[in-house]
Amino acid sequence: MGFFDFLRRPPKPAPDAGTELFDEAFQRRLEWLAVASRRVFAGRLRAERRTRKSGAGLEFADHREYARGDDLRTLDWSVYARTGRALVKLFEEEEDLAVYVLLDCSGSMAHGRPSKFDHARRLAAAMAYVGLANLDRVALIAWSTRVARRMPPARGRNRIFKVFEFLRAAEPAGGTALADAARTFAAENKRRGVAVVVSDLYDPAGFERGINAIRYQRFEPMVIHVTDAREADLAARGDVSLVDEETGEARDVTVTPELLARYRAAHAAWREEVEAFCKSRRIPYVAADVTGAFEDQVLHLLRRVGMLQ
Amino acid sequence: MELLGLPLSTLAAVFGGVGAGLVALYLLKLRRRRVPVPFVPLWARVLDARPAARLFDRLKRLVSLLVQLTLLALMVGALGDPRLRGASARGRALVVLLDGSASMKATDLPGGRARAAREAALRLIRGLGPADRMLLAQMDAQVTALCPLTDDPAELERALGEYAPRDTGADLAQGLRFATDVLRDQPDPEVIVVGDGAYDPPRDARGDVRLSGAALRFEPIGRRGRNVGITAFAVRRYPLDKSRYEAMLEVRSWSDQTERVELTLLADGAPIDVTHVTLAPGATTLRVLPDLSGANESVEARIARDDGTRDDLPADDRAFGTLPERRRVRVLAVTEGNRYLEAALLLDEYLDVVEARPAEAAARLRAERFDVAIFDRVTAPTPQGVATLWLRPEGADSPLPHEPGFALAPPGSALGVSTFDRRHPLTRFMTDLEETHVGRIVRYRPGPRDRIVAAGAAGPMILAGDRGGDRFAVLAFDVRESDFPLRVAWPLLVVNAIDWFAGEDPAYLSSFRTGTTWRIPVPAGVDRAEIETPSGHRLTVPVYEGRAVHFGTEVGLHRLRAGETQRLLAANLHEPRESDCAPRRTLTVSGAQATAPRPGRAGLRRELWAYLLLGALAIVWIEWWTYHRRVTV
Repeated sequence: MGFFDFLRRPPKPAPDAGTELFDEAFQRRLEWLAVASRRVFAGRLRAERRTRKSGAGLEFADHREYARGDDLRTLDWSVYARTGRALVKLFEEEEDLAVYVLLDCSGSMAHGRPSKFDHARRLAAAMAYVGLANLDRVALIAWSTRVARRMPPARGRNRIFKVFEFLRAAEPAGGTALADAARTFAAENKRRGVAVVVSDLYDPAGFERGINAIRYQRFEPMVIHVTDAREADLAARGDVSLVDEETGEARDVTVTPELLARYRAAHAAWREEVEAFCKSRRIPYVAADVTGAFEDQVLHLLRRVGMLQ
Repeated sequence: MELLGLPLSTLAAVFGGVGAGLVALYLLKLRRRRVPVPFVPLWARVLDARPAARLFDRLKRLVSLLVQLTLLALMVGALGDPRLRGASARGRALVVLLDGSASMKATDLPGGRARAAREAALRLIRGLGPADRMLLAQMDAQVTALCPLTDDPAELERALGEYAPRDTGADLAQGLRFATDVLRDQPDPEVIVVGDGAYDPPRDARGDVRLSGAALRFEPIGRRGRNVGITAFAVRRYPLDKSRYEAMLEVRSWSDQTERVELTLLADGAPIDVTHVTLAPGATTLRVLPDLSGANESVEARIARDDGTRDDLPADDRAFGTLPERRRVRVLAVTEGNRYLEAALLLDEYLDVVEARPAEAAARLRAERFDVAIFDRVTAPTPQGVATLWLRPEGADSPLPHEPGFALAPPGSALGVSTFDRRHPLTRFMTDLEETHVGRIVRYRPGPRDRIVAAGAAGPMILAGDRGGDRFAVLAFDVRESDFPLRVAWPLLVVNAIDWFAGEDPAYLSSFRTGTTWRIPVPAGVDRAEIETPSGHRLTVPVYEGRAVHFGTEVGLHRLRAGETQRLLAANLHEPRESDCAPRRTLTVSGAQATAPRPGRAGLRRELWAYLLLGALAIVWIEWWTYHRRVTV
């Protein structure tokens, strides 16, 4: 060891390996989460997902006018005989829910250690597993300024490994443009459903535009706001140049205690702004700090949407 | 304002050069540290809302530059050692003479008088006024300046650490001369004597010392002077029996009560005699210890109180003496037979005597190495390096020409020695030479550089000289024709002649006095000698005119190395004024009595450089404090 080795910067620790992200302990915690959420789905949610369709349902629900293309087997011949009107019988049919998990893969998600991106991937995996365990159709979309990768809708608990594989392959890079990505996502997915946005919402165009874009496409957005409390602080002091990790934009600033206090206040205000926006539009919202337990944060979100008491 | 350090032009150059460098560094664009953040627009919300702060940020660099330039100006200013004009001329000029004599080694005070003197000097240093300047000097047999005239207390305290009394007397006259020389033309001069006051009146070859307007102060040191000391000590070998010697010793008491002391004599470090002496207050006793033996090089005398306690001054409780070195001398006696000569040569056991007939003398001299050759009424050629004693030489190889025939004593009387040189080595210890009666003599004609050692009415009786570096002595009569062999002078002549020939210094001193310059004979051709003192210091001393010169300051046995030879030197204090170590409470010089030292006037230090550096330090401290308190960052 050289005499001046103490002057050298310590080597950066290796980033979390994807294989460690979803280890056995993580999978056990997912299982517990699935059990906790299943009790809710069995009692309440199933009814909300019933749809009236002509077809092979067991329980008659209503009639409607025949339209071209309807299966003639569903025509109610007795009504036709009595009234002369061609009506088809509608039966209530249970329909599986489409759950889209939109994972933010922008560069800012890689900030900090542990990074927000790892935490976001665990949250995405947890949401996906809850959906798969309840036989919903779960799709994953990785996005930054555009939709970068996608995992087609899948159903069944055993598809969770495909989810893991997809999430492991995801890498944070590039900027953030949720509105653009949402438009692409909507165009690619005709079936509407729940869109769970897992992001730090650091969108230069404004997080409101992105969430509204999802809403306007008639998806039901849920927001998991991945946060890191340490971002409200800065270790450096004095004259520094702050460089945006996504855009490369630099601002020369003299960091003083007074400035830091102002920044902390601004950061807290921005987070409250996000939460207030979601609340005002009845969008389920949860702030997920990287230091918190992901399963608690998922359950918290489920409670927000009334799925859990 | 005046500058005592670097001149103004140099200070301006330093400030200009370094200041330009500082400004250049500030003009360079500051390369900021890059800190990655996840979302700069959030910072923009904060930054865009504080224009006043941005103005402060811009000014901060300018303020920082001004602070750096101020710091530089303060430090450069300190290099100039600025003083308020005239401040250096208003203070006192003090010369402190620290008594460094042997009496300051007295132990009547806790830690000794030297410690008390140091503490007194320290008080004087700490009592200096802001514009006062002081010089410390040690005054023993010489005067040694310990520092220049300075107003720096730290330098004075460092100099005070070098003060150490020595085994010598104190020369107040020399000290005062030194002080008045230093203080000449100085404002408000003062001479402060710190010591026990046991000094001779300040008088030297130029007369009484005058202080030339300087005030005299005296800081007395000491409590009492209960002392018994050896004031004289000498040893010598007996001339006719050099294996034996005698010692002379004088012991004196300065105590106010009867003292009983044990007197020990050591030969080469081993005790050979112990006696007890009782001394009344102020009494002196002189002892001659005859017929001593057992010492080869040195003799030491020690006194100690019978009750085991020590008196106040240990420096004079020991005295040392050395005995001349003895070496074997090869002597060739060329004679037809001379019982008187043979008997005289038997007196010294360190003589290797070889007798030879006149016919074989030349061959023996060529074949063997002799130090001395004695020719009894004969002559022979002598090789270089052999000294010769001629007893009425007759022949071609005689060292001196002579008149034909003899000078006869008048009928009914005898020739005698009327005058002789008592200081010549040949006549050392002789007392009865003038009583010698001679029947006839040969009149020798001495050369221009030869000396007549003894002479009578008829002509020279004993002559001495030097031929090419070989000494010779000539006796102008036949000892058989005189009553010379019946006198002590005869064997003394033979022994003295051999000692003189063999190089023994007739002026040999058994000991030297400290506080004097010693001139010690060294072998020819040696130009440098080394003296190892009793404390183990090795000093290189110069050699002038065949003598090593050294100013002795330490009691004890010294070892002198000169060329291939070495010898012991003994040094003793033998200074009654130092042994009389009772402190004096007053000091009078030229009829004026010294007063007590007075402290300097308190006030602000006039050395502004210290304040400038304090200012710089304060700026650095404030900068450090504001930085770490995050006030300026």
